[in-house]
Amino acid sequence: MKMKKLCAMLLASSMILTLAACGSDNGTEQSGQDSSAQESSGGQSQTPESPAESGSESGAEDSQGGQTGLVPMEDADDPITYTFFVRDPGQAPADDNPVIQKITELTGVTLKFEFLVGDLDQKLGTMIAGGDYPDVIFAGDAATKLMDAGAFIPLEEEIPKYPNLNAMYGDVLKYLTQADGHVYNMEIYGTFLNDVTEVAPPFECAIGFYIQKAVLEEAGYPEIHTLDEYFQVIEDYMEKHPDIDGVKTSGFEILGDGWRNWALLNPAQNLLGAGNEGAIFVDQQTFETSFYQISDTAHDFYKKLNEEYLKGVIVPETLTQSYDEYISKITTGSVLGFYDQNWNFGSAQNLLKADGKYERTYVCLPITNPGVKDGYLDKSNGIPTATNGVGITINCENPERLLRFFDWICQREVQDYLQWGEEGVDWNYTEDGGKVLTAERRAIVYDTARNRDETGHTLWNYCPKWQGIYKADNMPCGAGESPDEYLASQSDYDRQFLEAYGIKYPAELFSDPIIRPQYYPVWAMNLEDGSPAAVASTKITDVTMKCYPRLILAKDEAEYESLWADFLKEFNAIDLEAYQTEVDRQIAEKMGR
Amino acid sequence: MSKFQKTLKKAAGQKMLYIMIVPCMIYTFIFSYYPLSGWIMAFQNYKPAKGYFKSPFVGFDQFMFLFKDVEFWWSVRNTLAMSLMNLIFSFVFAIVFALLLNEIKSLGMKRITQTVSYLPHFLSWIIVCSLVSNALSTSDGMLNNALMALGFIDKPVLWLGDQKYFWWVTTFSSVWKETGWNSIIYIAAISGIDQALYEAAELDGAGRFQKMWHVTLPGIKSTIVVLLIMNLGWVLNASFEVPYILGNGLLQDVSQTIDIFVLKYGMSIGNYSLATAAGIFKSVISLGLVFGTNAIANKLGENSLM
Repeated sequence: MKMKKLCAMLLASSMILTLAACGSDNGTEQSGQDSSAQESSGGQSQTPESPAESGSESGAEDSQGGQTGLVPMEDADDPITYTFFVRDPGQAPADDNPVIQKITELTGVTLKFEFLVGDLDQKLGTMIAGGDYPDVIFAGDAATKLMDAGAFIPLEEEIPKYPNLNAMYGDVLKYLTQADGHVYNMEIYGTFLNDVTEVAPPFECAIGFYIQKAVLEEAGYPEIHTLDEYFQVIEDYMEKHPDIDGVKTSGFEILGDGWRNWALLNPAQNLLGAGNEGAIFVDQQTFETSFYQISDTAHDFYKKLNEEYLKGVIVPETLTQSYDEYISKITTGSVLGFYDQNWNFGSAQNLLKADGKYERTYVCLPITNPGVKDGYLDKSNGIPTATNGVGITINCENPERLLRFFDWICQREVQDYLQWGEEGVDWNYTEDGGKVLTAERRAIVYDTARNRDETGHTLWNYCPKWQGIYKADNMPCGAGESPDEYLASQSDYDRQFLEAYGIKYPAELFSDPIIRPQYYPVWAMNLEDGSPAAVASTKITDVTMKCYPRLILAKDEAEYESLWADFLKEFNAIDLEAYQTEVDRQIAEKMGR
Repeated sequence: MSKFQKTLKKAAGQKMLYIMIVPCMIYTFIFSYYPLSGWIMAFQNYKPAKGYFKSPFVGFDQFMFLFKDVEFWWSVRNTLAMSLMNLIFSFVFAIVFALLLNEIKSLGMKRITQTVSYLPHFLSWIIVCSLVSNALSTSDGMLNNALMALGFIDKPVLWLGDQKYFWWVTTFSSVWKETGWNSIIYIAAISGIDQALYEAAELDGAGRFQKMWHVTLPGIKSTIVVLLIMNLGWVLNASFEVPYILGNGLLQDVSQTIDIFVLKYGMSIGNYSLATAAGIFKSVISLGLVFGTNAIANKLGENSLM
């Protein structure tokens, strides 16, 4: 009995600790406490009538409740809850989120989000093994696994029944159709071929070699295009500033933690001029494939990293650190450069911004082999990947109501409400008729926790949605696509930074966005479960994850070369042909050859 | 009356006992034996959408895939090495700790020490592993700082990046976490030893260490053997969390265990048949280990389990 009590106490205290840790992760102790409070009340205090008490905007929301112009769904008074698994790590919005409460009030629908903890493939694997699916799943490119397992209901006959969904997906249904003739998911990222919206130009590059703005400032805003130039400015800065704000300066970080392994595995393909393609290089003219992992470019790239390690620019610990350690390191402002995707370190950058350390934020550079045109920026070809979307599972008891809900969400008014909020409270027109957020709303958007708990972001993000620019009135769908908002949101430091380079957006440092061919990208391709190609793909990751860090930590040139030879031997022992043939086959199929 | 009838009569007399054992038998059947029918997957190319009946049979292909892959054998080696090191060190530490604790005369001190020492058992591995990785960090890590202050090393060692340290890191992480907890059962066994034996030993002029060696240890010998046999059955199951959390690319050759291999090449790429085949392999080896130890214990004249 005593034992049990002790266990319970320890459990309870460790839970509180964890919650507090989650909260402080996002920079706000407040939200941590909030969520623990809700946790303990068991969510019973939540009734549709009780207005949210926290949040600056909730008051305004309430008083204008009837004026949002949103038309309730007919069965709004018949509440229904759908469980929704999302492949991203994260947290569900607070139960008292005023926007989501409002949507629930208008539709009767509650989406109960479950975010990923741990490894996605393993989570889905267990889900499939047990047939234990939530009602809705957004699994990204891993959705193919679920399709093969028969987890989703076919949608090709459903989508045309709903006007908004049909407007969004009607023209691309054939691209969404899987090999077995069915459509299983509604893609949620990208602007697809349709009559309502068109693609917005990118303001920032989403993947590549990032560098701290202070480094460029001190070097006199040089144009940087090669690895040598990149590391040169970093070295120069490190020499002058061995410490930043009392923390030892770190020249270049390489994160290789579990599935977040692109910093270790991917850069060579970008140096060759590719975008974020996958585990193979595809020549964009001939569509011939080759393994960039063993190319001369890769050899020279890891050689360069090895040299930087020997110079002390790269500390060995970066190769063993976890994602959390990496993020907290960036948050100190002492990291000068890294290769990453912007969403992966966004939380760290938001904290730097919140601290007013704008010179410690990062900009992405078009780094390639000398003389190679960079291919970092994509322009959507309007063709969905057919995997990166939400699917309704066979366990969902009322898919009709859910589809109706998604259709309702895709009304322009609802989309504007979720993305922009209320006019005058959350956003305003500029003099030229563009849309910008108010300062208060912008502060919320940049605060991960508040954005989650006070706006409709999560709901919008994981449901079918309009993205890009509305053709009808040339208005941006969301703040992220509004040029006026982008400029308005920049700090004085950033404006000055852009002026120094003579550009309007950081993306102008890069070559024009490339419209990708239909097969693109390789990483979204479906490999049959347990097939030799799937095994080879796992092996490729395994071998490179193991050998690249060793190469980087080589003691001298001779050791590097011998390790490289070992790596080639081990890499070539993989059944590479199985993987390459499968990729070739899928490219040929999608390109209609 | 035939023998059979005799047995039947005897059984009828023990009717209540048989009725009482039925629920246990049903339980064992449902949760331990019935799931074994899933082993059929190991001989199929199992697809969840097709089920047991429509998935094609492939014979021993899944096993061949395992046995041909050098990475699998590495995983077996790593699993055995880490588990055995873990087993040996946690045994030694727990027994020594129990013996030492038994010698403490102050009751209050004894209780406090025991409670404090088993508290880490309640921490999850995630927390313990981040403590470990903090302590081993090259930037301001406790171990590197201490060794540098004492002059053993002149620059920080990347403990979590060097293959030769990894098994020791996992072993001592679990020694740190579990010693106190594991010693509880020995402390209980020690307290069951007849005090008269100690008095007799004292009369014969035995000192403290002699009493420990000749009275306490023989007194808990059977407990040790039973626990050893039981734990050996778990050897192949015991190494997942620590290598999974602390492992990284540099350590892959020494940190990948059978479970991690199965997760990567079985569950992650949807090859459940392979995962099942590896599971069967593990069960067979574990069974062998348990029977082997049991036989040895028998030979040595100890009470065996079976």
